[in-house]
Amino acid sequence: MSLVLTGIGVTSGIAIGQVHRLTPGELSLPEYHLDADAVDAELERIRRALDRSQRFLGKLLERMVDSGDTARELLESHRLILRDPLLVDATCDRIRSEKINAEWALVKQTEQLVAEFKRIDNDYIALRREDLEQAVNLVQRELADQPSTLIGAQVPHQLGRTIVVAPELGPADMAVLNQRRVAGLVTEHGGPLSHSAILARSLEIPMIVGLHHALDVLEEGEAVILDGHYGALLAAHDESLLRHYEDKREVSLRRRADLRRYLGRPSRTLDGTNFRLFGNAELPEEFQRCRDAGVAGIGLMRTEYLFMGDQVPDEETQYRAYRAAVEVMDGRPLTVRTLDAGGDKLPPALAVTQGPNPALGLRGLRLSLAVSDLFRQQLRAILRASVFGPIQILLPMITSIEEVRQARHLIESCRQSLIGEDLAIDPNLPVGGMIETPAAALTVEQLARELDFLSIGTNDLSQYVLAIDRQDELVSYLYDPTHRSILGLIAGIVASGRDQKLPVTVCGELAGDERAARLLLGLGVTDFSMPPASLPAVKKSLIEADAGRCRKLVEAFLREDGDEQSGQSLLEALNRPAE
Amino acid sequence: MIRREVSLINRLGLHARAASKLVQTAAEHDCEVWLERGDRRVNAKSIMGVLLLAAPMGSELVLETDGVDEQAAMNALVTLIENRFGEGE
Repeated sequence: MSLVLTGIGVTSGIAIGQVHRLTPGELSLPEYHLDADAVDAELERIRRALDRSQRFLGKLLERMVDSGDTARELLESHRLILRDPLLVDATCDRIRSEKINAEWALVKQTEQLVAEFKRIDNDYIALRREDLEQAVNLVQRELADQPSTLIGAQVPHQLGRTIVVAPELGPADMAVLNQRRVAGLVTEHGGPLSHSAILARSLEIPMIVGLHHALDVLEEGEAVILDGHYGALLAAHDESLLRHYEDKREVSLRRRADLRRYLGRPSRTLDGTNFRLFGNAELPEEFQRCRDAGVAGIGLMRTEYLFMGDQVPDEETQYRAYRAAVEVMDGRPLTVRTLDAGGDKLPPALAVTQGPNPALGLRGLRLSLAVSDLFRQQLRAILRASVFGPIQILLPMITSIEEVRQARHLIESCRQSLIGEDLAIDPNLPVGGMIETPAAALTVEQLARELDFLSIGTNDLSQYVLAIDRQDELVSYLYDPTHRSILGLIAGIVASGRDQKLPVTVCGELAGDERAARLLLGLGVTDFSMPPASLPAVKKSLIEADAGRCRKLVEAFLREDGDEQSGQSLLEALNRPAE
Repeated sequence: MIRREVSLINRLGLHARAASKLVQTAAEHDCEVWLERGDRRVNAKSIMGVLLLAAPMGSELVLETDGVDEQAAMNALVTLIENRFGEGE
């Protein structure tokens, strides 16, 4: 590749390693253990996927009567591979003996065969590795029930010094990559607020997004340096450059360690205003990190992650996830947001039809109310977990008071059904609402009467108020969460909460932005919820802030009659050290 | 059960195309078919097994067929190998 490529850096870290290219979909291979009684069904599943793959190849062969021997032989060899006992019988054996799902068993067996092929020093035979992988991909596609998309080779299990390059990455992909300790990430698409970018920040994985054509220019195994701060990817040919970046990486790791010291200090501003820091978390590792950072609780547990697999998780699976989270938090409150699917993140398993404009369509609480059997499952799971520690329920994307009433009614009916099962659930379990649509923000006073707490989702609120899709690279430059319109709404929400004595938390990206912390403080916010990685820097910014001065500056800005719409210069002023 | 030694005389040895033909021929028969090279023994109905033998030209192999149509299978396989897998020269 050329010396440097640039995109948008989303995590300000540095990673040094080798490129590993991923093509679409290849990470969506689920891995799970089977109950003993599910083994037969799984064997049947893989047999059917193998049959369908054979038929697919057979049809292709029929159609290519005239396309020459090489192509035919290639397909023939794929058919042979898919009948090969070394692959088929061994994979079925793994499903039986290791009690794992078909995809996983197939991946493991393929890896083993690839390893055996690697040992052979013969060009003619080395080529067959590709055939094996392509043939297996056919089956994986059938198993995933998405025969039209590509699933490439499985990702290696240890990614320590690896920088993964992909068109884009979903939350499930991020979970796998994080588990395998990837060094850095590059995606061709997406913006700094895409789901994967948010997760990368939270997990402190250096990442560049929007690096167009990265897969066209980068070669497998190429040595590169990823500078997340500048969004730059550099070729690591030069020794002195490499040394420079290794030093830089050391410095940034040390800075992070320095910031961590603030975590132990009381949450109080220079002039004595108390504030509370909460964590946003969805993956198990994140809860641990939040607790270790000393948060007051979890302000936002997203649950979409649970729904991203092949199947909708049953009540038991969800219950285990919520219970595990609340147990990790050890007495500190856990705010579980009910499924906020739709828009840009619709779980395939839900199989709900999308309307013409998903962002304004069936999503969030609307979707949950539309599939109320599933919603009940989730509510029951949350309520059952609440026996193990303080839990509160957060409803996403509300626009009307009627939705809140319906949801509360369902919660109550689930609670009653659990009493019948001898589970005593707190009848006053707090139910809050995300204020993230203009309708909710403008009628927050009424909504507040039906709710126990409010949570401001600054990302969606900004999108809807500004009419900007933050993922759309053509207009994302206009995305400005400090726009006067949004600051005015936040001030109004905070005031309503104060009047009705309801806690108000900000849990959007703005709350985790160390530069925006004082802006929110000036707007009257004292509860902040953010990814664990942001906690140290935000805490430092707030501890060193003068809350009175912040309020004055923000109030002056909102009162001003000037033509300034963006709060960017206000941000500058707020972050200048006080005299 | 029948065992028989054969010698690979085609130019490329048991490369991909030859291996495919061998496996296809073996798979046409009901009997078990095994292929040995040195101390390695593989199922000749397994394309990857056969490829993993990595047998170059001139290799000495042992074919073994075992089952109802073992004689027919042996004849077909030996013919295939002796005809250099239809590669020509």
